[in-house]
Amino acid sequence: MTRQPAPSRAASRAIQTPAAEAVIQMQKVVKTFKNAAGEFTVLKGIDLTLMRGEFVAIVGKSGSGKSTLLNMITGIDHPTGGKVVINGLNIYEMNESQRSLWRGKNLGIVFQFFQLLPMLTLLENVMLPMDYVGMYEFDERPKRAMELLAMVGLETQAHKLPSAVSTGQQQSAAIARSLATDPPIICADEPTGNLDSRSADAIIGLFDHLVASGKTIAMVTHDPSLTERTSRTIVISDGELIDETVAHCLPLLGHRQMLEATHMVEHITYRASTPILQQGEHVDYFFMVTSGAVEVVLCNRRKEFTVARLGPGQFFGEVELMRGGQSIASVRAASEGPAELAALPREGFNRLVENSSITGEALGKIVQLRLAENRTADRRQSKRGKK
Amino acid sequence: MIRPRWRKVFHDLIGNFSRTALVVVSIAVGVFSIGVIIGAYVIISDDMSASYAANNPMNIELRTDPFDEDLLSTIEHMRGVEDAEGRRVFTMRVRTGEDGQWVTLNIVAVDDFSELNINRLNVISGTNQPADDQILLEKKALADLQVAEGDTLEVELLDGTIKSMTVAGIVQDPATGAGDFLAQPFAYVTTGSLSFLGQPETFNRMFVTLTEGKNDEVVLRNMGGTVRDKIEKSGVTVYIMRATKTNEHPMASTVQAVLGILLALGVLILFLSSSLIANTLSALLSQHLRHIGVMKLVGARRSQILQMYFALILAFGVIALLIAVPLGGQGAYALADFIAEKINFNLMGYRIVPFAFIVQIIVGLAVPLLAGLVPVLNGSRTTVLRALTGDTGQDEKKPVAGPAPSESAFERFETRTAHALGRRGIHIPRPLLISLRNTFRRKGRLALTLFTLTMAGAIFVAVFNVQVSLHDYIDQIGNYFIADVTLDFDRYYRLNEIENMAMQVPGVVDVEGWAYATAEVLYPDGSVADTLTVLAPPADSHLVSPLLIEGRWLQPGDEQAITIGEGILSKFPDLHAGDTLRLSINNREDDWLVVGIFKFVNQQGTIAYSTYEYISRQAHAANRSFSYRIVTEQHDPAYQQQMGATLDAYFRDRGFRVSQARTGQSTLEVASESLDILVTFLLIMALLTALVGSIGLTGTMGMNVLERTREIGVMRSIGAVDKEIMRTVMVEGMVIGGISWLLGALLSFPFTYLLSYIISTAIFESSISVHFTLSGFIIWLLVVLLLSAVASVLPARNAARLTIREVLAYE
Repeated sequence: MTRQPAPSRAASRAIQTPAAEAVIQMQKVVKTFKNAAGEFTVLKGIDLTLMRGEFVAIVGKSGSGKSTLLNMITGIDHPTGGKVVINGLNIYEMNESQRSLWRGKNLGIVFQFFQLLPMLTLLENVMLPMDYVGMYEFDERPKRAMELLAMVGLETQAHKLPSAVSTGQQQSAAIARSLATDPPIICADEPTGNLDSRSADAIIGLFDHLVASGKTIAMVTHDPSLTERTSRTIVISDGELIDETVAHCLPLLGHRQMLEATHMVEHITYRASTPILQQGEHVDYFFMVTSGAVEVVLCNRRKEFTVARLGPGQFFGEVELMRGGQSIASVRAASEGPAELAALPREGFNRLVENSSITGEALGKIVQLRLAENRTADRRQSKRGKK
Repeated sequence: MIRPRWRKVFHDLIGNFSRTALVVVSIAVGVFSIGVIIGAYVIISDDMSASYAANNPMNIELRTDPFDEDLLSTIEHMRGVEDAEGRRVFTMRVRTGEDGQWVTLNIVAVDDFSELNINRLNVISGTNQPADDQILLEKKALADLQVAEGDTLEVELLDGTIKSMTVAGIVQDPATGAGDFLAQPFAYVTTGSLSFLGQPETFNRMFVTLTEGKNDEVVLRNMGGTVRDKIEKSGVTVYIMRATKTNEHPMASTVQAVLGILLALGVLILFLSSSLIANTLSALLSQHLRHIGVMKLVGARRSQILQMYFALILAFGVIALLIAVPLGGQGAYALADFIAEKINFNLMGYRIVPFAFIVQIIVGLAVPLLAGLVPVLNGSRTTVLRALTGDTGQDEKKPVAGPAPSESAFERFETRTAHALGRRGIHIPRPLLISLRNTFRRKGRLALTLFTLTMAGAIFVAVFNVQVSLHDYIDQIGNYFIADVTLDFDRYYRLNEIENMAMQVPGVVDVEGWAYATAEVLYPDGSVADTLTVLAPPADSHLVSPLLIEGRWLQPGDEQAITIGEGILSKFPDLHAGDTLRLSINNREDDWLVVGIFKFVNQQGTIAYSTYEYISRQAHAANRSFSYRIVTEQHDPAYQQQMGATLDAYFRDRGFRVSQARTGQSTLEVASESLDILVTFLLIMALLTALVGSIGLTGTMGMNVLERTREIGVMRSIGAVDKEIMRTVMVEGMVIGGISWLLGALLSFPFTYLLSYIISTAIFESSISVHFTLSGFIIWLLVVLLLSAVASVLPARNAARLTIREVLAYE
């Protein structure tokens, strides 16, 4: 078995996708607030890359730093350290005023409380960014604004003030405004947090539509149901990003436990067809597939047969760690390409399972299932052998 | 230990410096203005007359033909007369040296300075006991002559000889000429100097004081008549008789009327500053709504909340008083001192005026409490739920799910107007729309700000209009002084002699000899109602262009007929053209026909016109005159000045006894200058009002920006650069300024009429016709736009400096 040195999480992300597709890159971003009680670090060296066309949900508990993270992307706040590069531009090299202009052209922002200007009609609100950044001919602006309002179903309400339409309609208008200057990136902070479920559903539908048309959307939410509709979920806890593989494989852990796991996992990349575990070998890790695929192979009378194929978000090693004993099967990287795994050491795994009973129960059920599958597979192979 | 709630009040007081400063300045401006004006009013009322009385002013002044000691002695021994002193008063030109400008002075010759008892002189420097070749200067003369004690003055005698006199001292004469704004400065010499100065050693003016009834108008008038009769019976003609009270400065009523106007403006400023306080406190309460909610949540009762905020308001008042009371006291004294200097009386030293002090304290504490009453009561009435959810019923509430509230009618009007314009292809840029609509969002606050600025504007513009009206009035008075040069001689000369000679001077177009008389207007019971100066130009004179209120002007052939100044209407309100007035001239009582009534400044008693032909015949001086009106080819002041000097020299060179050559403009200039002082005061008050207005606007814009920080963050988040944010705020400020200008311009019309009426009746005892000038409107437009821009700059800069995280702070 070839074990390679564990690469950093950021580097592993770089391996997965070419850098040319990255639209937002956060590098070692630190944000510290100072007050009378002392300093408080909200973001602790965030490395994050968002790709063009991704619909990313940023989730986290209240106070975890998710809105601060979004503020770093939108240029609303200043990082204490590190840099934020958007479309190749370090946005904190500009002053506040220049950044406003840049933001108006490159970024649409949707707020939880909509933040439509109350003295302007919906149409005027949508036209306002065009005025500020000087995009489109003056006479063309009402037409474009009306098209955007039509897109969100508000063409008949265009000449009303925000106070005269429903909250759902206000948020739709805010989305239309965020698209006024046709920015490639939309940042939304709890866009459905203040809406009823029907309106929220319509808003997410709009986002789907925008992603399909090539926009990149970063959305802060704490509604778990929304993460199912995004292409990627970033979990933040105590100012640090949780390993996305950990979050995906062990979703029942609390965010702090996920963060603990994130700190413990090692990332290992195996070349194609490289063995990872040998049947009967002692197992010390809980393996989670980050990218690529692995094959689970049973050896019976010197014959090998593949019993399962595991892809990103799936895991192995839990049977041995929870039941004790040696590996019940061999595992190797799939033949078509390398596999990247996140390996959680036995001690850490056991502690997490002890502390999260629901995770333990869920894994226990999976272990029973796997053992049953193994026994069935074994019997089937034995019958085939006799024949 | 201080209780937590009072600690909160203390923190509210010192925690937000700019807000505390705004409220304190608003209160202080009002308290200061009131303090200045009441203080000055009291100081002037007390000191003006006391200072006047301190110099033992005359009760009766008589301008007569020459008389001697014997007549003086006779008068002195009359019953009711305490003292009588004679003076010789004549005009003379003096200069500091060959290069100096000639200045005409009223020279007063006194028999014995050591026994001078009436109209005593205060020494300012040097002595008040000049020797025979010495001269004393009244301090007002120093404005035209840069001399000091010990310097030499050149004096021009009537025959053109120039003599030198040493300035022995500078004195103050609060009484002589006290009632005459327009009098030439005075100087004093001994009677021993008269021969040296080519003057006869006789008196031509008598000052009399009375034993009793010094302050009784009826006694004064009757005694004046008695003394006059006595003098005239001895063969001495009395030209002018004036009776004045001892304890009342002749200008007292005028000055008090002017101070009354200033007081009205002071009250207005106070009123405006109270609207400013109401505005600021209302914003403070809306910012404190959450605090009130929390306090109520933990058990505070409404009365406790009220106590806290009233205590806060009182603290604002106390700080304002600490600033405004001392400043007001200083300001009051400075204003009184300025007026004293102009009117020529002395103040009795710096002091605090208890009445002004008490009024300031009441105003400083009561006005803010009254202004804050409504916002504080409303704030304390709020429910915990409303306070904590931040639902202030205004535009800052957060949206909540549920049925949408509807637009107000005004909002519908705004959006429909913009929509309608848009349909016609007129698209207002959205940033401008924001400024325009922001202007009308806080209508209560807008109304208070507009009220303040509008009043300031109306007063400002009105002051300009009043100034023009006053100057126009003075110009109209010029219609009675059309002559370019008035040449006065020391004796009568034949008309044709002077006319023929004057016409030989190049540039002279016309010459008229006028006659003069003084008359007493009598009530039907024979008592004296008024003293009348009768001017008598030729009946066909072109040198008077009267503004007739009713009747007609004089015509050739009119005998025993007058046209009279409207001032007479104060004594005879029912007088009309065609009526008769009983006049006493040269001890002869007759009924005179009033053929017309004309407009005129009533500054130095009433004047009337009659025909030269009739008056000169009555005075046994037909075809002779000592005063000639000369018209020159050009009428500008410089030409008049030049012609005055030429004619003066021309006649002197030919042995004529020229008393003085006055140019037509000089009298009017002095009058205009006096009025300008008044206008300057009014303008200062208007600017003070404007200052209150602009503080109000700064406060309003500051509060608006504070309340709209979230929106400013939104603007930033969608691409607004610093310049755009600043422009949005500043345009709003300037729109408010513009609206206030429009309203102020409209309101300035009634204000102009009111102010003109009050001032003209105070000064001229008659109303003047009102004129409007564009300059006031234009200057105020520029001032208000500038003030608006300046008032908005600070809030705008603050707005542009806000980072979005600060303003959207939603985590």
